[in-house]
Amino acid sequence: MTDHDDISRRRFLQLSGATLAAAAGAPGAAAATQTKTAVGDAPPGFARLLREASLPWTSGARVVVVGGGWSGLTIAKYLKRHNPAFDVLLIDKHPSFVSFPLSNSWLADQIQLDFLSHSFFDAALNHDYHFVQATVLDVDRATRKVYTDIGFVAYDYLVLAPGIDYDYARIGVGDAEQQALLFQRYPGGFVSASELLTIKHKIRSFRGGTFLLNVPNGDYRCTAAPYERACMVAAVFKKRRVRARILLLDMNTGIKIEKNGFHRAFDELYKDYIEYLPSSEISGIDLDGKRVSTEFDEYAFDDAILYPPIRASRLIDEIGIANPQSPQKAANTDPFRYHVVGDEHVYVTGDSRGQPFSKGGHTAHSEGRYVAEVIAGHALGKDVAWRSPQTMCFSSVEIDPLQAMSIITYYKYNTQTKLFDFDRTHMIETWDVQGGQASLAWAEGMYRDLFYR
Amino acid sequence: MMPDCLKRLRGLVLAFAACNAYAIEPVKVTLEFQPDPDNGRYVFEICARCHLPEAWGDKEGNYPQLAGQHVNVLMKQLLDIRTGHRDNPTMLPFVQERTIGGYQNLVDVVAYISTLPMAPIHSQGPWPDPDSAEYRQGMRLYQAKCSGCHGASGEGVDAAHYPRLQGQHFSYMKRQALSVREGLRKVDPAMTAVLDALSDDELEKVLSYISYLPVPREDLAPSAEWRNPDFQ
Repeated sequence: MTDHDDISRRRFLQLSGATLAAAAGAPGAAAATQTKTAVGDAPPGFARLLREASLPWTSGARVVVVGGGWSGLTIAKYLKRHNPAFDVLLIDKHPSFVSFPLSNSWLADQIQLDFLSHSFFDAALNHDYHFVQATVLDVDRATRKVYTDIGFVAYDYLVLAPGIDYDYARIGVGDAEQQALLFQRYPGGFVSASELLTIKHKIRSFRGGTFLLNVPNGDYRCTAAPYERACMVAAVFKKRRVRARILLLDMNTGIKIEKNGFHRAFDELYKDYIEYLPSSEISGIDLDGKRVSTEFDEYAFDDAILYPPIRASRLIDEIGIANPQSPQKAANTDPFRYHVVGDEHVYVTGDSRGQPFSKGGHTAHSEGRYVAEVIAGHALGKDVAWRSPQTMCFSSVEIDPLQAMSIITYYKYNTQTKLFDFDRTHMIETWDVQGGQASLAWAEGMYRDLFYR
Repeated sequence: MMPDCLKRLRGLVLAFAACNAYAIEPVKVTLEFQPDPDNGRYVFEICARCHLPEAWGDKEGNYPQLAGQHVNVLMKQLLDIRTGHRDNPTMLPFVQERTIGGYQNLVDVVAYISTLPMAPIHSQGPWPDPDSAEYRQGMRLYQAKCSGCHGASGEGVDAAHYPRLQGQHFSYMKRQALSVREGLRKVDPAMTAVLDALSDDELEKVLSYISYLPVPREDLAPSAEWRNPDFQ
């Protein structure tokens, strides 16, 4: 594991407390000792971490939303719609937004990057809330404060939608240094924009040989995306007549979604390009030798995109609200109201959520609209009836023009097993131009909803 | 400076003019083009990705039941979204000419949708019992304030583009009523006035009553498992 795990919540607060004492020139042996032991040579600049961040402030109850992805953006907008008196602040560590949905179509040159890129300023301006670029370091639920690299922010309600982190240990890479190297050389393309840019460059500059892709196991982000990506990469190689073999190692026993459609696409469109290998659990990677090993085999590759299994954002675990039973360290929250168990002022949504809903933009948007109602209702003492989020997903398999399949599903709570099951799944497993057009219109509509008027 | 009363009058005249302009268009469009249901089925493939091949909507209220709706009502919604009279950012790109095509395609697709059989089950309000005080209050409100346009049994009026309410999801009607109140969906001023005059409680009851208005059997699909054969 990485050193993230070492900075426990308590240590951070201790460290910053000592820094404050030192900065304020507080006398006393205790403060001096702490400064020496806990802070060491902490630069004086650390003092700002303990000051209140200077931010615009309005009079209403403040809702701080952490994470400007599909979930956080939706909640910030709809909180303001349901209760215009809320003082809504959106925090994200990135300067701008890049959409992962539809990014595979961009990899295959079907859309421009500016289709996917949007400004948090536009979102905040058009929907009457505030945005600030900052990294969240800690949360103190007792005093209702979020600590960030620009100081602390007090909240009445806190929504945590920090997304996911990669879990490289689950493909046999436990060493932090190796993880960092692996991430940089063969990024998965599901967390940050730089990963996507690197992947596009890899595809564009590939001269031939074996191009390795994989499908992780567990509840990873966007179930169809790794299969769709294999199709989009194959489409590019086919169009450019690159003599390449795409090796698609699936850590699952078979295609997890739109199985018939994807098999048909692999056979009919990309027979000479995609080699699909199910039940291929990756157990180790030799970075310098460019080899990946599974339980029984070893495969050499010339270039790769490695999508490791994922977990909830480390922030959830670091601030002590992860569910100890959750293999992906998801939040310990009420399955219907989304608040942290025992704390109705802190909510966890999006891909760090405790429920096993499909991780993707549309699900987060649909869920976010409901959670915004729940929080607005809580402030007024009103109950909001639970409704299922909706999952919708387009999977593009052919380009020029773009052609896509699609799926819609809902969830229902099984009172006997106390788990969520899929409910009302509708698949359109034939790809066509209308599906491709619909995928573009869907994305454009979502960006409109989140960023513009 | 214009006196306040004049400003208000000018506002009214402008609002009236605007509302007439978009009130006439759907009927004009549906009269001027000859519908081609085969092309309608083809165009509907774009819509079906979200509305699904049966166009039955969902009980969560994300999507309305489109099946069985009047042609002019469907056309008016497409044009209202296109012109911004309905604030619907997620639907907006779908009704652009570059996605769905021109008027001919719109006419064709609404002709196709209006022929689809309706869902045998839809989401309904909290008061099914005709003897309950809430149901009866909802019924009285409906008869006093709604039936004049929407019809005694919620059948609507095609030529006047008054929506058919029978079979519509309770959750969807509620969301739309709130959208009208918030100014996000601009409708006939008479409709806005009715919604503004109802209390939250009255609105809930009248919508619950509407959700129990029976749909003629011949308009319903044989079962909830029926799937649109055009998409099999």
